[in-house]
Amino acid sequence: MIDLLDVRVSYSGQEALDGLSLHVSKGALLGVIGPGACGKSTMCRVIAGLVQPDSGEVFVNRCNFRTCSRHELQTMQRNIGVQFQNDALFEHLSVLDNVAYPLTRLTAMAPSEIEGRAMESLATVGLAGFENRLPNRLSGGQRRRVALARACITRPAILICDEPTAGLDPQTSRTILDMIAGIRYQTKSTVVVVSSDVVGLFSISSRIALVWNGKIIEEDSTTVIRQSERAEVQRFLDDARLPFAGWTWD
Amino acid sequence: MGLKLSLIQVGHLILLISEQIGGAAILLGQIFKRLIPPRFDALEFRKCLFSMGYKSLSIMIATAFVVGVILVIQSFVFVERYGMRSQLGWGAGFVIIRELGPVLLALMFSGRVGAFTTAELGTMTVTEQVDGLRCLAIDPISFLVVPRFLAMIISLASLTLIGNAVALVSASIMGEIMMDVDSHTFWSSLFSMLTAGDIFLSVTKSVLFGAIIAVNSCYFGLSTTGGAPGVGIAVNRTVVSSAVAVFVVDFFSTFVLG
Ligand SMILES: Nc1ncnc2c1ncn2[C@@H]1O[C@H](COP(=O)(O)OP(=O)(O)O)[C@@H](O)[C@H]1O
Ligand SMILES: [Mg+2]
Repeated sequence: MIDLLDVRVSYSGQEALDGLSLHVSKGALLGVIGPGACGKSTMCRVIAGLVQPDSGEVFVNRCNFRTCSRHELQTMQRNIGVQFQNDALFEHLSVLDNVAYPLTRLTAMAPSEIEGRAMESLATVGLAGFENRLPNRLSGGQRRRVALARACITRPAILICDEPTAGLDPQTSRTILDMIAGIRYQTKSTVVVVSSDVVGLFSISSRIALVWNGKIIEEDSTTVIRQSERAEVQRFLDDARLPFAGWTWD
Repeated sequence: MGLKLSLIQVGHLILLISEQIGGAAILLGQIFKRLIPPRFDALEFRKCLFSMGYKSLSIMIATAFVVGVILVIQSFVFVERYGMRSQLGWGAGFVIIRELGPVLLALMFSGRVGAFTTAELGTMTVTEQVDGLRCLAIDPISFLVVPRFLAMIISLASLTLIGNAVALVSASIMGEIMMDVDSHTFWSSLFSMLTAGDIFLSVTKSVLFGAIIAVNSCYFGLSTTGGAPGVGIAVNRTVVSSAVAVFVVDFFSTFVLG
């Protein structure tokens, strides 16, 4: 479904992705972990077609982003739902309008039908009753859920969630990850989730990828990753097990 | 050492300015590409026209009114000394329509609408809302930039025409109060000397200024980086560079178009 081959992206000379390769098969839920600034967000943006790699190939659904026509790229992009790290909610629109926005803009559906779909989508993320609020009157976790509802309202074949749990308390974080798993189960979509909630991520993912300095250094099923001998992987799993994340003995 | 350092700073400044002018020029090209044939969001265009044009009306009229009043107060000495009361209308009209009206209203417009647009687009950029649009395969330039570009040009040109009229009215009132120039004398001296070329120059200038402010504010808005502080920097750059560009273009358009 998603294939990245030796993708390189640099921002003003500094490498953000340094030869990253990734394969995600159809229907999989890939959990992505990695330290800060290692290129996770950039990878998500490459998959969504928002960043053109300097070199390397990107295939999504067998469509090559570099060689396909603009029309094909647009069709492909509309089939990818993205939940951005900063929520990217339209602040001047109500929660309902935010969620309905992709359908309003992209389809010729009747307004009543769109509203129905949006309400349904809000109900999936547990936000029924918040339709008429403006985003700035929501808590961080609620904003995340609105963003998630908006990302999946078009029932995209691919759903990308960039840090849907950042800055949330462990319980909310787990709820949101479970919602993502539920959406994947309902829509049979292929999902990529970046999260630092390692425990939660392991519980919903079918596979885990560890990004390190712009490369994927380890990508396998959760069971194999758990038993991996690699120091970087172990460090991540240890962090998740320790009561205080980031605490080490030396 | 000090000299070397300042040379480096000058070099950096030149690079920065070149980058900004280049970026703005590229954006202008992209705007034109979407104008022939026109591909932009009509709803957004109407919204912008309302918020930029109609909502600026009161502040622009107030500015224009003050400009007319001050012009008469400042010219009092000359008019008295050379006994040019009969020519006050022409003098005021010449200065207001050709120069003060377009420039001062453009600066006011840049402060109100340009700064707002940069802040709006800048916030949308740093919170990834612009990417949210691109993700839905909505082209941010057709959707956000072109409607603002057209709305700013149309708004500023119309506001300048209205503002010119208001400034002339306030000048004639002030002339009557301060110098006993009756309004008939004022307006007849104005209309006997005023040419279509003067109005044309005024409108051309305001269209150019509107385009400058629009391209600047959209460019700095969309190229904002670095979160909320970045938005402040972008707004600052828009206001400063728009003012500089307005004066530069004012100079050349006055020179070329007479
Ligand atoms: N728009 C940008 N401009 C310049 N540098 C960027 C930009 N986006 C990301 N980077 C840089 O690329 C690197 C990877 O960033 P990112 O993909 O956001 O990492 P992560 O999401 O893993 O924290 C970082 O060093 C970051 O500073
Ligand atoms: Mg990130």
